[in-house]
Amino acid sequence: MRLLLVFTTLFLVYFCSAQERDYQAFLLDKDLVENANAVVRLDEMRIHLEARNKMVYTVRQVVTVLNKLGNRYANPRVFYDGDKKIKHIEAYVYNKMGKEIEHIKKRDFSDISAADGISLYIDDRLLTYSYTPVQYPYTMEFSYEVETSDTGLFPPWYFLSGYLASVERSHYEITYATNDLKPIIKEHNLGGFSIEKEERAGRIVYTGHKLPAVKSEAHSPDYGSLAPKLSVRLTHFHYKGFDGDVDDWNQLGSWVNNSLLKGRTELSEATKNLARNLVKGIEDDLEKAKVIYKYVQNNTRYISVQIGIGGFRPISAIEVDRVKYGDCKGLSNYTKALLEAVNVESYYTVVEAGSRKVDFKEDFADLRQGNHVILAIPYKDRYYWIDCTSQIHPFGFVGDFTDDRKVLVVKPEGGELVSTVAYNNEQNHQLTRAQFNVLENGEISGEVTITTKGIQYDNRFSLEEKSVDNISKHYKDYWGEVNNLNVHGYKFDNDREEILFTEVVEVSAKNYASLSGERVLFAPNAFNKSTYVPQRYRNRKLPLEIQRGFLDEDIFEITIPNGYKVEALPDNVSLETRFGTYTMELDYDSETNALTYKRSFFLKKGTHPKEEYTNYRNFRKKIASADKAQAVIIKADL
Amino acid sequence: MKNLKIILCLFTCVITQAISAQEVKFGKVTEAELKQEVYEKDSSAVAAVLYRNKSIRFEYKQSIGFQLVTYVHERVKIYKPEGFEYATVAEQLYKEDSDKETISGLKAFTYNLENGQVKKHKLSKESEFRTKLNEYYSEEKFTMPNVKVGSIVEYEYQIYSPFYWSIDEIEMQYDIPIKYQEVSIKTPEYFVFQPTMKGYLPLNPQKGTEGGTITFTDKQRTGKYTTTTTYSNSKLNYMINVTNYTMHNVPALKQEPYVNNMDNYRSAILYELQYTKFPQSPIKSYTTTWEKVVKTIYENRSFGGQLAQKRYFKEALQNLVGDKTDDIEKAAAIFQFVQSHMNWNGMVGFYAEKGVKKAYEDRSGNIADINLMLTTMLSEAGLEANPVLISTRDHGVPMFPTRKGFNYVVASVSLNNNIVLLDASNKYTKPNVLPIHALNWYGKLVKKDGSFSTVSVMPKRVSKENSNCTVSVDQDGLISGRMRKTYTDFKAYEFRNKFNGIEENSYLEKLESSHVGMEIGEYGVKNNNVVGKSVMENMDFALEGQVAMVGDKMYFNPLLSSTINENPFKLKERNYPVDYAYPWEQKMVINISIPEGYKVETLPEDIKLGLPNKAASFIYKVVAQDNTIQVLADLKMNTAIIPAVDYPDLKELYKKIVEKEAEKVVLSKITADGSQETPAGSR
Repeated sequence: MRLLLVFTTLFLVYFCSAQERDYQAFLLDKDLVENANAVVRLDEMRIHLEARNKMVYTVRQVVTVLNKLGNRYANPRVFYDGDKKIKHIEAYVYNKMGKEIEHIKKRDFSDISAADGISLYIDDRLLTYSYTPVQYPYTMEFSYEVETSDTGLFPPWYFLSGYLASVERSHYEITYATNDLKPIIKEHNLGGFSIEKEERAGRIVYTGHKLPAVKSEAHSPDYGSLAPKLSVRLTHFHYKGFDGDVDDWNQLGSWVNNSLLKGRTELSEATKNLARNLVKGIEDDLEKAKVIYKYVQNNTRYISVQIGIGGFRPISAIEVDRVKYGDCKGLSNYTKALLEAVNVESYYTVVEAGSRKVDFKEDFADLRQGNHVILAIPYKDRYYWIDCTSQIHPFGFVGDFTDDRKVLVVKPEGGELVSTVAYNNEQNHQLTRAQFNVLENGEISGEVTITTKGIQYDNRFSLEEKSVDNISKHYKDYWGEVNNLNVHGYKFDNDREEILFTEVVEVSAKNYASLSGERVLFAPNAFNKSTYVPQRYRNRKLPLEIQRGFLDEDIFEITIPNGYKVEALPDNVSLETRFGTYTMELDYDSETNALTYKRSFFLKKGTHPKEEYTNYRNFRKKIASADKAQAVIIKADL
Repeated sequence: MKNLKIILCLFTCVITQAISAQEVKFGKVTEAELKQEVYEKDSSAVAAVLYRNKSIRFEYKQSIGFQLVTYVHERVKIYKPEGFEYATVAEQLYKEDSDKETISGLKAFTYNLENGQVKKHKLSKESEFRTKLNEYYSEEKFTMPNVKVGSIVEYEYQIYSPFYWSIDEIEMQYDIPIKYQEVSIKTPEYFVFQPTMKGYLPLNPQKGTEGGTITFTDKQRTGKYTTTTTYSNSKLNYMINVTNYTMHNVPALKQEPYVNNMDNYRSAILYELQYTKFPQSPIKSYTTTWEKVVKTIYENRSFGGQLAQKRYFKEALQNLVGDKTDDIEKAAAIFQFVQSHMNWNGMVGFYAEKGVKKAYEDRSGNIADINLMLTTMLSEAGLEANPVLISTRDHGVPMFPTRKGFNYVVASVSLNNNIVLLDASNKYTKPNVLPIHALNWYGKLVKKDGSFSTVSVMPKRVSKENSNCTVSVDQDGLISGRMRKTYTDFKAYEFRNKFNGIEENSYLEKLESSHVGMEIGEYGVKNNNVVGKSVMENMDFALEGQVAMVGDKMYFNPLLSSTINENPFKLKERNYPVDYAYPWEQKMVINISIPEGYKVETLPEDIKLGLPNKAASFIYKVVAQDNTIQVLADLKMNTAIIPAVDYPDLKELYKKIVEKEAEKVVLSKITADGSQETPAGSR
């Protein structure tokens, strides 16, 4: 085995040196072609650190694209800004025989704004070239050299850059001029891959060989947490005009505080007075904070403008106060300033936001982590979290955007990693109560009351801000299984203190029940069918992850028409699995000619081995089937 | 224009104000407007334009000549946080060499009601941003300060453009309502513009004239040894044509399903320059008729010039045509060659980007590179082939003669006196099956002598998607069987573009998730790369959860999971035609064997429906024979476009289809003696 490996390595080395520029597509390894739309023949980055504020790196990527879905791996483009200069850039295209068919020079690249679609303005730009493939497979060789004074945001290294692309050879190399520039490298998920490290004075090299493509699968953990990669940082770095000397989160927090936030919370006396007036007569700090947060929510909006260090440093509170808009940094810092004015302590907090939970890494303090800023308000031994970019979230409720993850809290004495509030399992509760009549002609009509908490609240409470059209559309989507749904009226109650949202909706639906001679058929579960069944994998490879979990409870009172009696009802169901539980009960009261439908579906947060995926799928299949089960009523003989 | 030796800065001066346009003064925001919580005419509006003024006029400047000046004044009320986006304004500015559009005189305020007082906040210079988008365009953006729910934002600015021959389309309708708007266009007599209106809103132009004066100072130098400079003032009076549009309560343009391109229905006016007539100068004509438009395009090097190039493909053509004598065979061979040889770079246009020769060598090019090449090769092979100019669906419908009305070109060839359209830019097109984006009403077929004819590009032939299923239902209500599907013409084109772009497994996984409870076993597809033939899919499948077993009965939908269960048309009425792009038919034939020991108790009744003029038909039939049930569901749209007047009928048709397809088959158990069991009764 070992011999074989050595032989392969030797062969590769030989192969690469002998046929430097010869990228014949038919020489591809079979294992690398499996599941791959593109094969990265070579992915190479060589970084040279000359000083804390001078770094040069060269990149060379050779990608054989097998089909049109693989084009995105051969996308020649480089971002740049005022502190990052592109010294050299070019690309070659080879046909499947390895013959050069196109040479793309620097002047052929387009220089465009790196508009992200969110920001009003962004000063980043990019050089890009859009190549039209004329046959598959083809090979693109792309190389560039960049010089930058920024060493604070160190390029990380992915040995596999994404799903559905394999890598033949990966080479990551850092050389550094002096020992104080020696980078700190953290390895992630390298086990099981053919990756080697080589280190000597002034030089660190990682090489990877023959890394097969990975396929994405539903309900699997985030790619970033599975992918083999390196995080790299410098202890003594430079970023957009600022030096930093950071070894842990405490020091990074201090650096953020002293370099980026210093002096940013100044406000005019008039504004300070306004803040003080707002909280007049309120003693309690938390109550004061609520008033200030409400003021910010009612008076500002989110607008992103990213210029230079502005990517990291908030615009000053004075400026936000003047225009009443800002990005997450600006609005958080502004709120912090107003809180300061009323003597309430709060901390600027950096977080990796998104419905996917991503933790800051305890043992690796760098600037690259985090994409969003919120505020932490300490009160009676706990933190309250607020997102100042939202005009509508209740105080202390952040929803699934920043919940349950490790974040960097920046305190005057330094940074600290803390976990944000979690909303899991039965905390994400929904209770649906409905009373409806089934009519002889198949129509149903009645009233539905839905109360939601936790993440389910988060999914729902913004309804009250929506326009009439959008609300009606929401219900038509939400009850998409119910045809001909008509919303006659609705009423919302948003309890921002208890974080509880109540919807009372009056609805009807023609032909909900189907008629069959004397019989009327209908699914008693009209208002909370869970028909989703996760897709089937012929060969599941990744673990199963349920990120948060929830509990749904339903009680429906169903009246059937006079002159009808129940002919048959679905059987009661009770399921208990490692993923959660499901019960469904139906009772018929012949006195009142009414049915009572009770349902409970509990899904538990957790990660399970890939072998369990089929069981999970079966669990959901059984639920889908039970939720669709039909009752039959028949005209009673007179 | 050169005869106007105008040196000093001149200005056109409006003498009469034909209509008192400035009823609404900048800055006069009322408390009542600020207090408003919803827009009275449309409570769903997240924001509304309370007042809008757009005035377009001409101004003369030395060294530049005439310029186009567009004045914009808008007052917008924000009702919901969703409406905050209307507090950000963006204008794209065009640049060509040293000529460029500029923006100036920006004045903008936000008004809020604070403690019962109207407070105004000025937009500062730092809130304006300029981004260079590409070689030709930059974007000027600003966002208003202090915006919250209830705010009114108001701004005015002017755009100066040296491109006076090109007035941008003037939108008269937004995605939010406009309470009151005034639009005026003032053109000096030297410029003759032709307005064209579109959309469903009545636009009432008020026409009038005004006088304009150009005062200029003429500097003259005289004398041989000592120079004397004398200045003389002279005046030039001219007439200005004024058109005003005033509109109240303009409704928001809302998105609807099956619309070709919503912008086609947005009310707007387009002014196209017909000709210029300066004093002591001959008339200079700009495009006025389709003849001229076509001629201008044809004479361009990037169009006609491309059609004249023939050497580069000579050898290839010889090999292709060989000794073929049949026109159809020749055309097919050439089309297939260009289709496989060339690769579209994603750019549209009727002018060649690289030039056909270079494109041929590179094997890639824009639409014109590819289809002009195709046209020339067909023509060189002795066929009657001509280019057809088209406007793509997202480019709108050209309503009057203008070069801007086109952005695409395909090839046509006359075979047996039939015109066949060809587009070689997509790997899955075939004769008369153009990419969907090119199916937009009419095109102009351009002949070599520069004449043209109008041809319909809308498909006439019905594209079919036929399914044939043989399934059995077992004792536990599990359905399993085989399905064969065939796709023709556009259905095949769409299938190929979808299927050939992804992995088979991903396709199957998607298919399974769109039919809840379906598991596909063996799967095969034929002709997915053979464009001339119908695509055929074969699959084994099992279907769970379709059959409701209640008591001694089984209930299931005879169409299994392939029912139409939602009416796509929700609006009460509609102003726009329903545009399917091509006529189509979806036909399902299902044979169901019922489990042993069961018999058919009830079947849905047959139905036959249709639209007037045979525009659409629906046939539904369920027949039982022995132990099998035969189902036929056939929905057919015989035309690509259903006019708005037929909308209520179409909606009603779908309503009935949804109702019909919801009906179930009931099977009941046969007891040992052959009679039916008595109902189990309630529990």
